[in-house]
Amino acid sequence: MRAAGLIDSEPAVAGSAARSLPWRPSAYLAGLAGYVALTYWFAHGSLYLQGLILVAAVFGILAISLDLVAGMTGLYSLGHAGLFALGAYTTTLLYNDHHWSLWALLPVSIVEVGLVGLVLGALSLRVSGLYFAITTFVFTLVLTVVASDFAFTGGYGGLIGPIFPGFPGGLSWLGQSLIWCCMAGLLVAIAIALGLRNSPFYPVLLAIRDAEPFAAAAGARTALVKISVFGLSAAMAGAAGWIFAFQGIVSPGQFNWAVSVNILVMVILGGMNTTLGPVLGAAFVTMFPAQVNINPFWQEVLFGSLFVLVIVAFPAGAVGLVRMLLRALVGRVRPSASAPRVAVPPAADVSVERPPAAPARAAGTAAVPAVRCRDVVFAYTKGTRVLNGVDFVVEQGTIHGLIGPNGSGKSTLVDLIAGRLRPQAGTIEIDGTPLEHAGPAARARNGFMRTFQAAVLVRELPALDNVLVGLYSRVPRVALRAPVWPVLPGARRDARRMHAAALDSLSFVGARAWARNRVADVPHGVEQLTQLAAACASGPRTLVLDEPLAGLSPSEVEHAAELLSELKRSGVSVVLIEHQPRFVFALCDAVTVLDAGVVVASGPAAEVRENERVRKVYLGQ
Amino acid sequence: MLQVLLSGLAIGAVYGLVAMGFAIAFYVTRVINFAQGQLLMVAVMVTAAIARTGASPVLAIVCGILAAGAVGVLTYLVAVRPVLAFDRFSFAWLVSTLGVALILENLAAIIWGPTSRSFPTLLSGTSVHVGGATLTLQEVVTIAVAIVLAVAFEVVRKRTLFGKLGMAIAYDPEMARAIGANTTLFAIVAFAAAGVFAGVAGVLIGPITYSNPYLGDTYGIAGFVALMIGGTERPVAAMVGGLLLGVLGEGANRLINTQASDWFPFVVVVVILLLMPEGLFSIGGRLSGLLRGATRPREAAS
Repeated sequence: MRAAGLIDSEPAVAGSAARSLPWRPSAYLAGLAGYVALTYWFAHGSLYLQGLILVAAVFGILAISLDLVAGMTGLYSLGHAGLFALGAYTTTLLYNDHHWSLWALLPVSIVEVGLVGLVLGALSLRVSGLYFAITTFVFTLVLTVVASDFAFTGGYGGLIGPIFPGFPGGLSWLGQSLIWCCMAGLLVAIAIALGLRNSPFYPVLLAIRDAEPFAAAAGARTALVKISVFGLSAAMAGAAGWIFAFQGIVSPGQFNWAVSVNILVMVILGGMNTTLGPVLGAAFVTMFPAQVNINPFWQEVLFGSLFVLVIVAFPAGAVGLVRMLLRALVGRVRPSASAPRVAVPPAADVSVERPPAAPARAAGTAAVPAVRCRDVVFAYTKGTRVLNGVDFVVEQGTIHGLIGPNGSGKSTLVDLIAGRLRPQAGTIEIDGTPLEHAGPAARARNGFMRTFQAAVLVRELPALDNVLVGLYSRVPRVALRAPVWPVLPGARRDARRMHAAALDSLSFVGARAWARNRVADVPHGVEQLTQLAAACASGPRTLVLDEPLAGLSPSEVEHAAELLSELKRSGVSVVLIEHQPRFVFALCDAVTVLDAGVVVASGPAAEVRENERVRKVYLGQ
Repeated sequence: MLQVLLSGLAIGAVYGLVAMGFAIAFYVTRVINFAQGQLLMVAVMVTAAIARTGASPVLAIVCGILAAGAVGVLTYLVAVRPVLAFDRFSFAWLVSTLGVALILENLAAIIWGPTSRSFPTLLSGTSVHVGGATLTLQEVVTIAVAIVLAVAFEVVRKRTLFGKLGMAIAYDPEMARAIGANTTLFAIVAFAAAGVFAGVAGVLIGPITYSNPYLGDTYGIAGFVALMIGGTERPVAAMVGGLLLGVLGEGANRLINTQASDWFPFVVVVVILLLMPEGLFSIGGRLSGLLRGATRPREAAS
């Protein structure tokens, strides 16, 4: 058992404060100026330097695009060489054979490869992460084969690519135009990664990667998001292919499966899920062979050793290594005296800080129950019914306890109500809307939230960011806006509001002091509270709590009971799954008892408590 | 037609052995060793090098196969174990095993030169006539060895305690460890076996391909495609996938054009990945699942 010291332990101060810093436009402007100056210098450099920069920048774009899928959503794509090839070949072929305009070919490449990515993602995400890696790997193999074995692609020798137009006379002082082009491409890629990472969508992406049920319960359509991110990543690879076509020759050897792995190495070497890591990795991997001038075989051996060494010795990559060092340094400065102690907030405060509940349904429909299950049947494997004709009704604005011995089907019923599972028979209505065929995302939009028995949260993110995930269904089009988040007019306002709402929610559950701490560093009790805060943040009308009191200390349990009463006062209907009868009968207005997949008793708490069978089956009296 | 079938089986047996190597390592550790093809190459190169010194070809072949097994174990210890120790569910081994492949391929090129060299032949040019088709003795032996090894593996897996423990580890490594299974030992054995399978494939194909440091690429990819056809869940299915791939490739060469076997297998694998994502034989599992499902509810209803 972990000691759940909500009251008596102090939060550590470290944690990823960096991500929550407000944006400093001046820092970004300075960075941009430096970038432009560097580009100017490159554009006037020697041909040798320019060659290095061209390749490094193109692979920088590819590495960033791969990091979007590998780092942020945990999908290891080995298809990026193929997507890259598609962009390069499309550009070269359409230009050489059909004389399309180069400027029209950029959007064409982006859209084409993006669409291919969407289809590839949709097909390959059906089974598992490994299947995704394999399918994308085969995709690259197939494209290489098509490029080498067919006449229209020029076979092994490849094709001669188009020549990038130089600057018009007045601008020729800028130097080599292609350098400006690929550095601009790299800048856009960095901006997209930065935008995503600083948008409120970022915690949702990480939740999809690390805690998929949590993201789904918050309203994210996880499969769609994964496919879309892969589509975006593919589109970026297509753009990289367009730029690459201008480097001279486009041939199959430049896009074989080893290139896919090389890109992955760049990402891992620089640091997964970091903005600059992939760029550094790309620069290193592409320039290393040119700089170290040795026997090509030894060079490859060195490369191979590098792959192994990086993976084995620095799994977090270069940026990760630097961060770890920084954290070790910062962690030592620990202002223990000023660290706020978490106390149970007095009830009076609670009502003030609670985020407003979503408006209850129109008065006329007040009689519609919050949750109504009719004759629900469910079996995990054919034959053994876990739930056998369960009727379960939760009236509006009540706390409804759901109890039963282990294996009685409580969690299964909750998963059915929450849409993680679909019943084989029966109907499930939430606020009068039949939802038995809909998934969790549809429920979140209908004001339904849940927590999990064992908290599933993004452990590397602060508690506050985890609560932001819970607000997903409340911010319109956050997923679509995320890639260009920083430049959108309403974005800062929305981000501020979301932060405020998340902080309010954390205050409401009494865990505000832990807002900046990574979930990995907080005690068990705070994890549970963070979960609750995430579920409450969007102001749900119906809340299902799966054993929220498990593993809490007595004072924490009291605190949680207080919160539940407060939620009820503000009109939220709560379903509470719990093992401790004491609290269930004290807190709940109504109680349903399950045993072996059937309802043993259901009704007002006092009545159920006196039920003969319940006393025998469950209370052991 | 029979000729196509038999020649296809002969080359398919080699693919199948490599694919089984992939599958055995994957079965126990959930890792696809991308240096699998290079293990084949190691066996070929070592055998050829020892034979060149004038030693008996049999000794050379045994040494070659053992070398492949040893390099397999080394791959596990250096490139796989540390990755899994850091995070059992990470896919970082994609990169580290590929690194090993690069190292092996280029070290071989440095040591023995990048060009093709001779390979000892044990079974000189005798041919065997089957129906209207002609096979070399080498091809007959290849098919026979592949079948014997596949059956032997299956017997060990299903009939011995060691094999059953292996199955337990494949199913749930943490649980298997809890009952006292030495998962590291099993992983080492699996990688050694994977190396031996690749090594056997190497010495069987060596007389045709000669020794060349880049053999690993060709046969590694063919073995991987065979694995995809058969599905990753059962090593024997990988052998069947290899045989199928061999026959399809031969057929494509005969019916489409002589280069068709370069790309035809990929068409097959794409179709299979699209229609049966868990491999060709998953459909058998689904069928038997349906059958079992059809009988069960009646019991429950009573």
